Parts: sequence; structure tokens; C-alpha cells
Amino acid sequence: MSSLELLAILPQLVLSLAIVLQLLLIAVKRSTLMIQAFTAISIVLAGTAHYLIMPAINTQSTILFYLDGFSLAISVLVLFCAFIVCLVSGRYLKVSQEVHDEYYVLLLLVTLGASLLAISNHFASVFLGLELLSIALIGMVGYLRNRRQTLEASFKYLILSATASSILLFGMAMIYAYSGNLNFHHLSNSFLAVNNPQMQLLFNAGSVLFIVGLAFKLSLAPFHMWTPDVYQGAPAPVSMLLATVSKTAIFAVLIKFWFFSVQYVSPSSEQPMLNVITFVAIASMIVGNLLALQQTNIKRLLAYSSIAHMGYLLIILNVMSHQSLQLAWESGLFYLLAYCLATLLIFTFICQTSKANSEQDNDNWQHWNGLFWRSPVQAAALMCALLSLAGIPLTAGFIGKFYIISTAVDNAAWWLLASLVVGSGIGLYYYLRIIFTLFAKPDNQHLFKLNRLSHAVIVSLSITLLVFGILPDVISEEVRLFALSKFG
Amino acid sequence: MILTQILIALLTGGIIAWAAESHRANTGKWISLLAILFSFGLLTQFTVENHQLFHEFLPMANIEWISAFNIYYATGIDSLSFILIALTLLLGVICVLVSWQEITDKVGFYYFNLMASIAGIVGVFIATDLFLFFFFWEVMLLPMTALIAIWGHENRIYAATKFFIFTQVSSLLMLIAIIALAFIHQQQTGSLSFDYFALKQMAINPQVEFYIMLGFFIAFAVKLPSFPVHTWLPDAHTQAPTAGSVLLAGVLLKTGAYGLIRFVLEMFPQASSNFANVAVVLGVISILYGAKLAFAQTDFKRLVAYSSISHMGFVMLALFSYQQIAYQGALLTIVAHGLSSAALFSMVGMLYQRLHSRDLSLMGGMFSSAPRMGGMLLAFVAAAFGLPGLLNFVGEFMVLTGSFKSYPVHVIFAALGLIGSAIYGMYLFQQSFQGEAKHSINDLGKRELLICGALLGLLVCLGLFPELIFAHFPEQYSTAMNELASTHNVGSK
Repeated sequence: MSSLELLAILPQLVLSLAIVLQLLLIAVKRSTLMIQAFTAISIVLAGTAHYLIMPAINTQSTILFYLDGFSLAISVLVLFCAFIVCLVSGRYLKVSQEVHDEYYVLLLLVTLGASLLAISNHFASVFLGLELLSIALIGMVGYLRNRRQTLEASFKYLILSATASSILLFGMAMIYAYSGNLNFHHLSNSFLAVNNPQMQLLFNAGSVLFIVGLAFKLSLAPFHMWTPDVYQGAPAPVSMLLATVSKTAIFAVLIKFWFFSVQYVSPSSEQPMLNVITFVAIASMIVGNLLALQQTNIKRLLAYSSIAHMGYLLIILNVMSHQSLQLAWESGLFYLLAYCLATLLIFTFICQTSKANSEQDNDNWQHWNGLFWRSPVQAAALMCALLSLAGIPLTAGFIGKFYIISTAVDNAAWWLLASLVVGSGIGLYYYLRIIFTLFAKPDNQHLFKLNRLSHAVIVSLSITLLVFGILPDVISEEVRLFALSKFG
Repeated sequence: MILTQILIALLTGGIIAWAAESHRANTGKWISLLAILFSFGLLTQFTVENHQLFHEFLPMANIEWISAFNIYYATGIDSLSFILIALTLLLGVICVLVSWQEITDKVGFYYFNLMASIAGIVGVFIATDLFLFFFFWEVMLLPMTALIAIWGHENRIYAATKFFIFTQVSSLLMLIAIIALAFIHQQQTGSLSFDYFALKQMAINPQVEFYIMLGFFIAFAVKLPSFPVHTWLPDAHTQAPTAGSVLLAGVLLKTGAYGLIRFVLEMFPQASSNFANVAVVLGVISILYGAKLAFAQTDFKRLVAYSSISHMGFVMLALFSYQQIAYQGALLTIVAHGLSSAALFSMVGMLYQRLHSRDLSLMGGMFSSAPRMGGMLLAFVAAAFGLPGLLNFVGEFMVLTGSFKSYPVHVIFAALGLIGSAIYGMYLFQQSFQGEAKHSINDLGKRELLICGALLGLLVCLGLFPELIFAHFPEQYSTAMNELASTHNVGSK
């Protein structure tokens, strides 16, 4: 193993080391503040490590990992989200004498799992990363053991996540039977080489199972049933982690598997897998948006809207030629970025206005009634995030949607575009309802006091959303560079 | 850069008005008024310096904006844009004046929204990059929706949501069409482009062209609004505050007409001439259906709103009949309807302030107590049903005469719309100001007299000398229209 190979996985090594040190730290002194600071610093360190590993781009590190520009960007995004979650968890959990060391250990484990997923290039590492992520998340979902909903949510997540994992494993086994190799890169070679229809069938069946497994974790329709309950039941910072870190990392795996196995340019004219993806995408866009319409609980609403957003993202998998690959990678990255920023912002607000010792989080958005007139800054930030999720210009969400529509037009995916239009039309309704509530004449006096830190977080997130929305050039060049340096 | 300066002046005016109002009450309206007048001054100075009156398209700014997609901040102006910008700024002044006493709640934020939507509308008229056009197209919606949703009447949330969703969904179709154009440009020349002139020169496969044209057409037909997609308009107009209605009817609907001329007709001559039959029928249906529904209303504002649908139907009919005279008539109708509907909505606002009701059945006989108001209302109603001597008459007359050559049968039906407008116009006046006196109200104040007088003066003045507008549209346009007409004739044969 050369030093370059070691360098390529430096951020993950930093995270692993930090977890060990965390355990030692707990053994020495139990202090919530200390461990929170330590976790935040180690995430920042792992983030800075990405700057050092630039020279190692396009390096195969052991057979398990491959670092390319896309993985690097995803990994940075994951760490950024985890950092915000770590920042906002402190105030949420600070309610009693209890010390929450384990929470932060689990947080780092989730982050490590997600960041491993981002660079993995092998079914084994995918499975390891996924399990690390999911098992730690189950612990976090059930962390507030006094809440009844939390227990329900964690059991639901445990059982369904385990089911999904076993489906995933079965799929991997079938693909292995077909290709004889667990490496992603190898898939494309064997896929193009073998023309035996029975073997093709085996491979397709395996791929379907693999995609179904991932779809469970990404909560794509029709495998979305668990999402609203888990979002609602989990403590707010954990829902935040689930919505951003876990989604981003797992989507990265899906997109890599899809593009590496080169199914989109299937040698035969029929594209069975593409039909599966198209079906799932359309179903997610429609179902997610429709079910979000009547929600009064903001966490449930965000759960349904995340289903729709994952559906929009699936559009970029519909790629017909190698030329449009570049655009598809770019679109995926930008959309994930915009989605994560907006979701982080809304969840930060929910976290900071709720407490861990109450029976429920402050998740009824009717309470935001007239917020704009009492606290213009908070309401304006929330409005930014909602408009971004709805894809309205001036915000990053619009540029993300622009990217996705571009990819779809480039590949003539008219059905997907049609459902995108219908889906976002429905989506507008519930986003607008919340925005109008913010501006309504105040008839209650729910005041949400935020401390300086959380104010700073939501304000800077909303400014970032606006900057990416108005001047996307500040990142586009970087994104392009990253996405260009893709798989060897 | 002068156009950008106008935009910036409007926007900063709005921001300063917002900030100033929170420090000292009653400063917001003055600042907004001054900002609009200042922009007007900039525009006038610019016009004086350019004696050709923008006969050619005059490109102004061209700055790279989003390099990944080759998108530029590109603006330009020609006579069509000029007239619409002037109309926008003029109605902007009216909007500030009608809000003078009406708005008492959250005043600073109100003027900010008003100014932002005026800036957005001006942006729509000057953008020559399709992405930029779309950007402004969406941006003007947000403050307008806020105006309806915050300062509107009893059913405002419903109206604002409906307005926003209708326009958003239809403009998403336009966005897809724009992106498709850019990718076709990439296939042909190797690079993406959103530049209006580059895209205009492209030769596109007719079938693809038709679908792209349809994407644009739907977005503009919703805004115009035309028959099957008009249902947002009565709600939005009725629930909006007075200035919102003035802005909606006066200029926001005109962005639809502008889009039809600038994009649908000029960029896709062949496809739109194939589509002309359908569009003309839609126009005629809008004229008759709008007039019929207007007659059935008991709500003053709703009645005026439906009459807008009817009037904009004339524009649609004229544009798709490919006749020079009809085209000029459409331009006059755009200006005339902008002025007269703004005037009518202002009158509704003034009545609402006095009566706190818009219900026609509760009004009546107010002429005795407010003769000046009654006289003004009569004049504006007369303008709306096309009394000779006022601008609306010239416009609609030219539309009908011009279109008759291409679509005689359609025009005969459309002409019935004129009778319809006379009926609902007289019904409106009679219900409110004549008959048994149910209320006695204050007559027009100085500010209100200024608003009505200015609008009436313009209507009369332009009605007697429509050359003032035609002077801006020299031969260049007629040749363009003749080319269109000849291709259309070839197409139909």
C-alpha cells in the first residue's frame, strides 16, 4: 500500500482515530461540552484533510475505495452537514444533568459510514459503510428513550433497515454470480462482454434487488412507508442527519453503481433497468408531493417532500450517451447541495426551538403563524429555504432544478419532465401554505428565542442559498473540475 | 447601462422606502414616488439622446453571468420595450398614488414589494438573454404574490396561491422550452446559448419547433390570460389591494402580450402560423366568454377583471391574424387597456375606501353626492366599451378591421364582444351611480382627481393622436409583419 493510497483515505482515517479518542475521552472525563467541541473539531479536521488529499485524486486505495472528484465533493458535503448537526445538537440536548457522550460517538460513526460510502467502489465497502451508517443511526433515532414515538420510530427503522440490507445483500450475491467480481469498475467490462441472455437476466435481477435495497434507504416510492414516522419520531437533530447525511451518501452509491455498470447504454435496445428507475422516479415525485399536501407536522411534511426530491434526483440517472455524463454528475452534485442546505436550515430552526425533554418537538408549523412580523430574520431565512425547496429563482434550489431539467432535456426524458412539472406544481401548494403562514396576521404569540449561534447558522445558510442561487458561478467552476475528474 | 440603472434605482428605492418607513412613518410613499419619477427621468433623458426612437434593437449590457451554461446578463431595448417600460413606470406612479391612504399596515414592506415587482416587470421587458428573461419573469411574481397575500381582501390566501401556482407551472413549461432551444443550439454549433438573437436565427425541425413554441405559448397565454387558463385572474384581481390590481391589469397581463410578440411570433414564425387558427379561436372565445361572465358579476372588481379577459382576447386575435393594421391595433389596445383598466381599478379602490364593499347590489344613486366621481367613471366605462375619441376605440377598431382580411367569420363574432362590453359597462355604471340613492359619499379629493385626470387625459390625447405611438413603429416592423404574413399565406395555401 503506497503512501498515496493512504493519503486518499486520510479523512476517513482522521474520523476513525477521532472515534477512538472519543472513547478514551469518555473514560477520562464525562463532559457534554467537551465531547461536543471535540466532535466538532474532528469533523472540521476531517474536512480540512480533503484539502490535503487533492493530489491523490483518481487513486485506487486498496480494492475497496476509489477517490475521484465526485466522491470528494460528496464527502465534503457529508462532513459539512454533520458539522451543522453537531453544532445544533448541543442546545437541543442540554436539558438535564445527563451527559450525552454516546450521542456524539454515534454521530461520528454515522459520519464515518457516510464518508466511507462516498468513496467506496466495491460491494463489500458499500455494505460495510451502509451498515455502519444504519446501525449507528438506529441508536440515534431511539436516543430519547422517554418519548413513546421515538421508540416506535427506532423499531420501525431497525426492522425495515435490516430487511433492506438483506435484500441488498441478495442483489449483490446475484451480481457476483454473474460477474465474478465485487468491484464496481469490473461491472461495466463484464456487462458489455457477456451476451448470454440468461446471465443478463441474472444480472438484471441482481441490479433490481440492489436498487430496491438502496431505494428503501433513500425512501423512494413505493418503499417510502417508514419515512414520515421515523422523521417525526426521531429527535430533530437526528431527523436532520437522516435527511441530509444519510441521503447524500446513499445517493452517491446509487449514482456510482448506475454509471459504473454502464447500464444506460445497454447493448440491446431495450433498457429494462431504465424502466425500473423511471417508474420509481415518477412514483416518488407524485406520491411524495401528494402526501405532503395535508401535513400539519413540519417533520412529516419534510419527510414526504424529501421523497419527492429524491424522485427529482433520479431523473439524472436517465442518461443516453457518454457526452451527457458530465452534465449528469454536475446536476446531481448541485441538486444535492441545494437540497442539503435548505433542509439543514429548516431543521436547524426546528431543533433550536425544541427541547429533548418535551414529549414532542416543536414541529407544528401552524405555530409559525405571523413569524415574519415578530422575527423577520428567522422568517426570511425559513422563506429562503422553502423557496429553494420549491425551486423558485433567487435561490440555489432553482439552479439545481435548472440543472436537472437540462439533463433531462439533453436526454429527451419527456415523461420524467412531465411528472417533474406536475410534481413541482403540487409541491408549490404546501410550500406556499407555510410561507403564507409566516406572513399571516399573528393570532398567537409563539415566540421562538434562538441563541446567537443558531441565528448565525440559519442566517449564513440562507445567505449561502441566495449566493448559489444568484451567482452560481462561484461554485460552478469548482464543481465542474471535481466532476470532470471522474473514475479512471 | 441606463436600463440597469433604472432597475437599480427602482430596487434601491424600494429598499430605502422599507428602511425609512420603520424609522419615520409616511416617508416610504414619498421615497417610492421619487424613485419612480427618477427612473422616469432617466428613461426620458435616454430617449431624448436617441433620436431614432429605437427603430433598431439597441443592445445595452452584455456581461457574463453563469459560465457553466454560457448565460449572460444581456439587456436591450427597442420601441416595443420602450413603450411598455414607459407604461410600467407611469402606472407605477399611479400605484403609489392609489396606495397613498389605502395602506396603513406594514407600510414599509408594502412599498418594497411594490417597487420590487415594478423592477421585475421592467426587467422582463429589457432582457435579451432567455435565461435572464425567465429569471425576471419569475422574480416579478414573488413580490406580486406577497402583495396579494398580505394586503389583499378576505380571500387573499386562496387567490395568491392560485395565482402563483398557475403562473409557476406554466412557466416551468417555458423553462423546458428555453433549455430545449439552448441544447438544439448546442447540437448545431457546439456551444450552449441563451442569446435571443442567436436562437432566433436557428433553423429547427418543424415538429420540434411546434412543441417548443407551444411551451412558450402556454406560459404567455396564462399570463395574458386566454380562455381555458384564465381562472386565476378574477380571483387574483378581486383579492389584490388596489395597487396590486392596477399593476396586474395594467402591466402584468401585458408581459404575456409582449412575450407572444417577442418570442412566439418572432422566434417561431412557421410554427406559430400553423398554430394561428387555434390561437385566433381562443382569442374570440376569450372575448365573448369574458364579456358574458363580466355581465354576470355583482362584484364591482370582479366585473372589471372579467372585462380584462375580454379585452386581451382582442390582442390575441390581432397578433395571430398576421396583418399589419391588426398588429398596430394590438399595440394600441395594449396601451389603452393598460390605462383604462388601471383607471377602473383605481375607481374601485376609491369606492371601496368610502363604502367598504364592492357589492354592486348595495350601491346605487351615488351620482348626486359625487358627480365628479360619477363623471370620471362614466368616461372610463365609455373608454372600455370603445367610445370613439378614446384610445380603446382606435385600438379595437384597427384590430377588427385588420383581422377581417384573414379571419372574416371570427371577426364577426369578435365584434359582438363590443356590444357585450357596452352592455356590461352600462350595467356597471347604472348599478353603481344611478337609480335610487342608497349612499351619499364624498366626492373625489385632489389626489384622486389627479390620478383620474391624468389617465383620462392620456386616453383622450392618444385616442385623438394615435400617431404619437405609431411614430415609434416605423417600416421595419411592417416589413417584419409582411414577411410573417407572406409565410403565413404560403403556409395556409
